[in-house]
Amino acid sequence: MSDTTELRDAVADVLRGRCSPAVLEDAERDGGAPTVWAALADGGFTTVSVPEPAGGSGGSVAQACAVLEAVGAAAAPVPVAETGLLAGRLLARAGLGLPDGPLSTAPSPGLVLDDGVLVGSVDRVPWGRSAASALVVDGGTVVLVEPGTGVVTPGRNLAGEPRDHVDLTGVRPAAVAPVDPIAVDELARRGALSRAALIAGAARAVLELTLRYTGDREQFGRPVARFPAVAAHLVQIAEQTELAAMAVGAAAAGAGDEGEPDPLAVAAAASVAADVAGAVATAAHQATGAMGMTREFGLGVLTRRLWSWRDEWGGGRSWAAELGHALAAGGADTFWPTISRGLVR
Amino acid sequence: MIFTPTPLSAAEDALRHEVRDWLDGTLPADFRPGLGLGGRHDPDFSRALATRGWVGMSIPRQYGGAGASTVQRFLVVEELLAAGAPIAAHWIAERQTAPALLRFGTEEQRRWFLPRIAAGECFFSLGMSEPDAGSDLAAVRTTATRVDGGWEVSGTKVWTTNAHLNHFFVVLCRTSASENRHGGLSQLVVDLSSPGVTVSPIPLIDGELHVNEVVLDRVHVPDDRVLGEIGQGWAQVTAELAHERSGPDRYLSVLGLLRNYLAEHGKDLDDAAATAFGRIAARLWSIRQLSLAVARSLDEGEAPATEAALVKDVGTIFEQQTVETVREIAACEIDPGGSMFQQLLAECVLNAPSWTLRGGTTEVLRGIAAKALTGGGAR
Repeated sequence: MSDTTELRDAVADVLRGRCSPAVLEDAERDGGAPTVWAALADGGFTTVSVPEPAGGSGGSVAQACAVLEAVGAAAAPVPVAETGLLAGRLLARAGLGLPDGPLSTAPSPGLVLDDGVLVGSVDRVPWGRSAASALVVDGGTVVLVEPGTGVVTPGRNLAGEPRDHVDLTGVRPAAVAPVDPIAVDELARRGALSRAALIAGAARAVLELTLRYTGDREQFGRPVARFPAVAAHLVQIAEQTELAAMAVGAAAAGAGDEGEPDPLAVAAAASVAADVAGAVATAAHQATGAMGMTREFGLGVLTRRLWSWRDEWGGGRSWAAELGHALAAGGADTFWPTISRGLVR
Repeated sequence: MIFTPTPLSAAEDALRHEVRDWLDGTLPADFRPGLGLGGRHDPDFSRALATRGWVGMSIPRQYGGAGASTVQRFLVVEELLAAGAPIAAHWIAERQTAPALLRFGTEEQRRWFLPRIAAGECFFSLGMSEPDAGSDLAAVRTTATRVDGGWEVSGTKVWTTNAHLNHFFVVLCRTSASENRHGGLSQLVVDLSSPGVTVSPIPLIDGELHVNEVVLDRVHVPDDRVLGEIGQGWAQVTAELAHERSGPDRYLSVLGLLRNYLAEHGKDLDDAAATAFGRIAARLWSIRQLSLAVARSLDEGEAPATEAALVKDVGTIFEQQTVETVREIAACEIDPGGSMFQQLLAECVLNAPSWTLRGGTTEVLRGIAAKALTGGGAR
């Protein structure tokens, strides 16, 4: 697992100092952070897990998740998840090469292709205004549309990251290729896993920030971290962070060097991460008091992302339902064997 | 933090399946599972398990054990707890006393006790808590005074599980006055059948009688039953507690409940129930990986005390939340005389409060973990 740790640290090094409060404020206003993107793209970190022949950096799902943990921890306002793990792998799966620049994708159930022309729209496309989008139509065809095509209605999530409505009716895709229908489910799972990885990273950053603040801030003559009630919040943030990171790490590692992650492991990770996002945000805000509620303190950029990412790509609730139904269908006797199957070398 | 996803080797995976298959063939079809480490006291089962080499696994071969790794023991214990197997007879001896004897015992003590523990013939209870010493173990008042050839012990121990059935318990007591309250403490191995030992049950909330008060009235303990060094009891008992935390016993008390929920209700789960059940399962999935990571790091020579405290805290809270959630989605009046699921739900509701108490309360554990996280409280 050390290769993933090293990769996470390498990305954290690239991002250190680059996601300053000013950069993040600008990104919220402008819908992008070109300098952050350029630094990551130059290092090849935006296409990890996309095979090299398709134009990616190669690597495993686990390595892609390690990158995303660092991206989440830095609150980097760029579509790294979409470009590599999601759209990049989807394009490669369909035998299409990656265009230069940021990519995006989103669930596109209402989109169809009629005689080579798209009909329909896609909701909440991350950075849809500025990224090329790889989308699935009719459940079995991948289309690539260039940045800014169609009618873009800007939207955002709680963190101010672009989540745009894109009406593609009348647009002729830049590329079209058939894909195995299973790729749709795989994309949804990688979407959920990407959010879990981002959450795990942001949660760790929240932990560090909260430990630092409560260690420095004195009330009643001592650091507030020394008060048992505050310390309990810190411990719970640490526990929740480790839970999410472990759920992501186990699901990602299960994909092996080139494969896709196990469906139930992804469902578990998505469910855990969504719960963790809420719990960590609540505890951190309580521990940091009014300061945590301000725009100047760094907690808000993280918790607003936690509150956004936990609902994306299905959200924890739908993945928990999928896991619950699958376990029930498997029956009582396979419950424990399924939960405990873990990773076998 | 040492938490990384831990793959099992093929041999480790095979061991797990071997234990699972053996349990399938050994436990009767209508077996009522115990709540994890609350499994029943069954010396025959312990002996049968011992013949497979699965009691005292981490005891070295020269003392009659299997010389197994922490992970191998983890996998066996996990299967036993998941099945709710009747492990109470050998549980403390194997989890706690054997490692303490290995670490602090004399060669003679190891040669006498360890093979018997590994054979499932020598059962131990814990002799730590007292009426005025619970989380604060340094407050113990049980006292041993020097006599010819040994020590004479007097005092009262409480919460001594299965003292009426087991052979020995390791008593934490004062052997000298000390200005430092952690000083002057020692551990003595006391034969529960000794003259002067009176065991009386403390009936618990569910009417069960497996927890006891043990009064020691001038009980003679020979010198060769001193565990470790006189005066080093505090350091020894602290080391011992690490074995009490982070294991699968901290998240598997509810496994039988979950399995039987599926058996009785799994056919017609609505979305709300499936979601609630899925959330529980997802959390269990992840907690298990955390606990396994602790076991692996122990094998790699690390001492993950903070991680162990975190796993115990998150594991036991998970267990309690699970009982509440399952009760909600089952949506029924609990009938202690009802179906298997109903019986287990009743037992869980009545026992759940103890899960965040035994082995260190939530509050104490969080204090330990917070200290480590904040580097002593201030940064």
